[in-house]
Amino acid sequence: MFMGLAAEKYDRQYSDRQLLRRMAAYFAPYRGRLIRLALVVLAITTIGLVSPLLIARGIDLVGVQPNVGAIIALCIGLLVLSVVNWLCNLTRRRMTARLIADVIGQMRNDAFKATIHHDMAFFDEFQSGKVITRITNDTQELSQVTVLISDLISQFTILIVLVIVLFTISWQLTLALLVMAPVVVFLGWAFRRVARLVTRSGFRAIAEVNSAIQEAVAGIRVAKTFRQEQAIYDRFKQINRRSYEVNLRRGFVLSNVFPTLNAMAGLGTAVMTYVGGLAAVGGAVSVGAWYLFIISLEQFWFPMTNIASFWSQIQGGLSACERIFALIDAESSVKQIENSKLKVERGDSHDRTFNAQFSMLNSRLRGEIEFKRVDFRYNEQQQVLRDFSLHIAPGESVALVGHTGAGKSSIIKLITRFYEFQGGQILIDGRDIRTFDLTEYRRQLGLVSQTPFLFNDTVMNNIRYARPDLSDAAVEAVARRIGGGEWVEALPNGLHTQVGERGQHLSMGQRQLVALARVLAQHPPIFILDEATASVDPFTEKQIQAALNLILADSTSILIAHRLSTVKSVDRIIVLDHGKIIEEGDHATLMARGGHYAMLYDTYFRHQSADFNAEVYQKLKA
Amino acid sequence: MQTSTAIPPRSATSEFSVEREWHSDRRSPARWVFSHIWRYKIYILGILIGSLGNAGGGALMPVLVGRAFNAVVAQPPDIGSLGLMAVLIVVSQIVRAILQLGRNFSSEIIGQRIERDARDELYTSLIGKSMSFHDRQSIGDIMARATNDVREVNLLMNPGVNLVVGSAAFLIFPIIIGPRIHPQLILVPLFYVVAYVIAVAYYLRRLAPATERVRRAFGRMNATLAESIEGIETVKGAAQEEREIVRFRGMVDAWRAAAVGQGDVESLYLPSLIFGMTMALGLLHSLLLYHAGAINVGDVVAYNGVLMFLQFPTFATQFAYPQVSSGLASARRILELMNAETLLDENKGGYAGQIRGDVEFDHVTFSYGKDERPALQDVTISVKAGQTVAIVGQTGSGKSTLTKMINRIYDVDAGCVRVDGVDVRAWDLDALRRQISTIEQDVFLFSRTIAENIKFGCPDATQAEIEQAAKAAQAHDFILSFKDGYNTIVGERGVTLSGGQRQRIAIARAFLADPRILILDDSTSAIDSATEDLIQQAMFRVARGRTTFLITHRLSQIRWADLIVVLKQGRVVACGSHEELMRTSTDYRAIFAGDDERPRKSAMRARRPTSDSPHEVRGALDIEGREWGMGSGG
Repeated sequence: MFMGLAAEKYDRQYSDRQLLRRMAAYFAPYRGRLIRLALVVLAITTIGLVSPLLIARGIDLVGVQPNVGAIIALCIGLLVLSVVNWLCNLTRRRMTARLIADVIGQMRNDAFKATIHHDMAFFDEFQSGKVITRITNDTQELSQVTVLISDLISQFTILIVLVIVLFTISWQLTLALLVMAPVVVFLGWAFRRVARLVTRSGFRAIAEVNSAIQEAVAGIRVAKTFRQEQAIYDRFKQINRRSYEVNLRRGFVLSNVFPTLNAMAGLGTAVMTYVGGLAAVGGAVSVGAWYLFIISLEQFWFPMTNIASFWSQIQGGLSACERIFALIDAESSVKQIENSKLKVERGDSHDRTFNAQFSMLNSRLRGEIEFKRVDFRYNEQQQVLRDFSLHIAPGESVALVGHTGAGKSSIIKLITRFYEFQGGQILIDGRDIRTFDLTEYRRQLGLVSQTPFLFNDTVMNNIRYARPDLSDAAVEAVARRIGGGEWVEALPNGLHTQVGERGQHLSMGQRQLVALARVLAQHPPIFILDEATASVDPFTEKQIQAALNLILADSTSILIAHRLSTVKSVDRIIVLDHGKIIEEGDHATLMARGGHYAMLYDTYFRHQSADFNAEVYQKLKA
Repeated sequence: MQTSTAIPPRSATSEFSVEREWHSDRRSPARWVFSHIWRYKIYILGILIGSLGNAGGGALMPVLVGRAFNAVVAQPPDIGSLGLMAVLIVVSQIVRAILQLGRNFSSEIIGQRIERDARDELYTSLIGKSMSFHDRQSIGDIMARATNDVREVNLLMNPGVNLVVGSAAFLIFPIIIGPRIHPQLILVPLFYVVAYVIAVAYYLRRLAPATERVRRAFGRMNATLAESIEGIETVKGAAQEEREIVRFRGMVDAWRAAAVGQGDVESLYLPSLIFGMTMALGLLHSLLLYHAGAINVGDVVAYNGVLMFLQFPTFATQFAYPQVSSGLASARRILELMNAETLLDENKGGYAGQIRGDVEFDHVTFSYGKDERPALQDVTISVKAGQTVAIVGQTGSGKSTLTKMINRIYDVDAGCVRVDGVDVRAWDLDALRRQISTIEQDVFLFSRTIAENIKFGCPDATQAEIEQAAKAAQAHDFILSFKDGYNTIVGERGVTLSGGQRQRIAIARAFLADPRILILDDSTSAIDSATEDLIQQAMFRVARGRTTFLITHRLSQIRWADLIVVLKQGRVVACGSHEELMRTSTDYRAIFAGDDERPRKSAMRARRPTSDSPHEVRGALDIEGREWGMGSGG
């Protein structure tokens, strides 16, 4: 419940003025509709005021022995008013629904568009669930803000006009009415406060209870395996009882609201009846006017409590807007430099074209990668790469190995341009990586992350994700290139198998195969792989290796390797430690040297080898 | 494990039941909710009295105001009576507030108790379901029902039913008070009630599908969004941002259309029109009666005041009925889950001996659904007590399904599984499962201490026994490395353990439980060789002395197994010891040969496969022999 409420680092404070101005900008395109809506609201307000006046007039008629015609005319007037009122309300609701849907839709699109263009640092840092809540749920709050503001305006109008009308009828009674106002305002305010307090503490308790219930549900399977059903049930009962107690306490507090308000309203009516009655007896007001005051009480009461609680109610909406704007405004650290600007910086002022374009990559890259004295840090404390240089020839395959934190994934993040580096240069085919059009550039990268992500679609469509133009036959051909397509046969529905959310219908190994097939289909000049650590059955592993071999043969490849067969299959192994290259060479050479790589091998790869298997087998047998 | 003689027939096939004297009516959602509410009759009475009192007190006010009017217009004005009326108004409204409070408290109590009871009922029923049921059901879905849907049923009662009953009371009073003033004055309130009922029914019928459309559109939008954000690296890596933006915009548009549709249905709310007309007609009628001299001024005031009270049901309905109907929808979802038949039964009084450990699969065939490809086809294996069986094969080849036949998580479609020569279906389920332990791939730990997690299957184990089990499972050392040792809280609210550590806790559990048959689904692999070494030792030890089924990716384990079963699409393609299979099975040899193979790009380019495995040669040729399928443009 509180998931979306916690502050994130990119959150910022906007003044109420800034917020309102920015929200106003969303409504600005609908100026015409807003004006029409305002007119309708005004009409509804007017009718709301005129109806009691008519009824009071009717009561007054009672005193002077009216003719039937006047009575009928009066009631027809009232009838017409109520129909018009209903029609106006209908119009108002229809207009509001459209206006709100349009504005929220626009805001969602903006928020999504801004979010998807944030750099990867943003997504690594902030939980996707929270970002999603902002885009869908927080925008929804906007409808509440809109309704609240329009209600506030119409209620204010009602109050002001009502008070003026009542003053002209009887200033004494009006004063009596106004004396009660502070009580109402205070009550409305106090209740919101109490309600917020219990609701908040209640939510916290409920969140706790909910997570306990979830565990109880998830634990059923284990309980069943060990025949511990009674034990887990007893525990569940305890949690359930606690949930009941917490909720009941909260419910009791909130139950007080309406009875108290009703009692206060009764008191107000009693006062108006007595005071007004005396005034009527004394001849200060007519009986009709007195009646008008009594029914006005209701008209007065309701807007007052609402206005009193307006600020506390709208706070939620405003902070929701603040969260959305903060999401939209979060700054990207990855910045592409326009060519012209770069030239200016370099001092080639004679060649200024003022053509503010990024380098377009019309041709296929060769795939040469060069890091030139690159500095990179995630934040002030965490310097990852310092003065780092590395050259990877076109078509070469390179495996990065090292302990956690050595800088392996940083190198990948810089090549994919997911993160901004602070010093030095990264050249791709000899050109500065910062000058590329990002979309064009990334189209030439094949990327498989540690936990391959699949979209909830068919295997077929997942394979052609980066190449939507491929025909079914072409995708099929790509899939069949991997190990003769045996893995496709193992899928329940072949290439048309639905992979489920995040690919959950497929095994980890199959997901990796799909991700590799995606790269095969893309046929990129540069291939980047952060190898999965999850183990895979030996049959699937063979096919993954086959897919990998196909890609390695064709692209410049940078791999973070976790599997022995992968490190064995690359041209060059680069051993990293604290952001520095401490050893390089191929597997056999490095093993023979008996240095850092040999040690790493002992820690991370040895258990995958046939020797290790034989060794364990012997040891266990003994 | 408890049983009772009072359990209804439905629970006869349950794996777990709790003794209770009360049972809900599960024939339909409405009946079910009603049977839950009906348990708390005294509070129902509280709601009814409270509602009537509230409405009555409310209706009394205009009557009293009317009397006050009569007192004022009387000649001479009756000031004493006016004061009395004012006092009566205050008293009546305070009494009314107290009654209303009673109503709210009563309905709050019922609502919360329903939530509690329904959750308890659901949970008990879930524990009673077979493992096959839990295998099929997603945990997220069950959780949603145990939290949100149960809450919805609570809201159905309060504010839902509470408001429905409360506002219904307000409908009654104008009908009662009107004719008391003058017989004819029943007409207008009666007109309102009839028109109101029809209009509300019409409104609700249109609203339900509109709301559902919005809910679905919102859900789809949310799912699309979640996918794009969670797969952002893939999206960015493939430079498909624009496509995702367009896709999302489509979803937003669909949501907008649905939301506007719902707004349109809501705007056409006829009861408020009927209310306005009622007020006009009421005034007309009372004034005409007054004109005819049938009623006095106070009556006119009272009557019109009473009519004003129809405003409450007019507007409360818009909110209360959708709440009730969404509560009923939730009740239906809960019932669906509870009424799902569990396929297995406990088979109390079945065979219940000590298991020796012989396991026999006799031409076993099984499929998960009628139309699905069989997960197991004609599988015949014979395992002697104490043997270790490694089951290998690709994902989806039926490895886990095979083991699930032994402890009857599923029952065979054809053929037979025998433990110690007795068909598993003839065993007492409790006796059978008690002697078979499973260590699942994804080890679930409760948010409790490590010690409690280890002794989960044997609550009476002593600390010494726990530590002994942990030592045997190679878990003792890492447990002691935590500040609180065995009292370290793990899981969601404590220390997060790595996959290898969780696995060793599960092995310790198995040591304590000391089952005769052990099923080990071991598909995780350690990141480093040292841990791998520890896990291997733990597994080897726990397997010793019991019949063990190992689903494994580890070549070393496959190697030391007494029997290796190679599965391919539900069939046994090879079966035997390591040495035998190396001789006879190409499929099997391919795995072990793989380790020596070095697929070098240079080698591939030269079309010179380096592997000496016949299978690999074929595979490599396969890859190379094919045309490079597609035009690989950049």
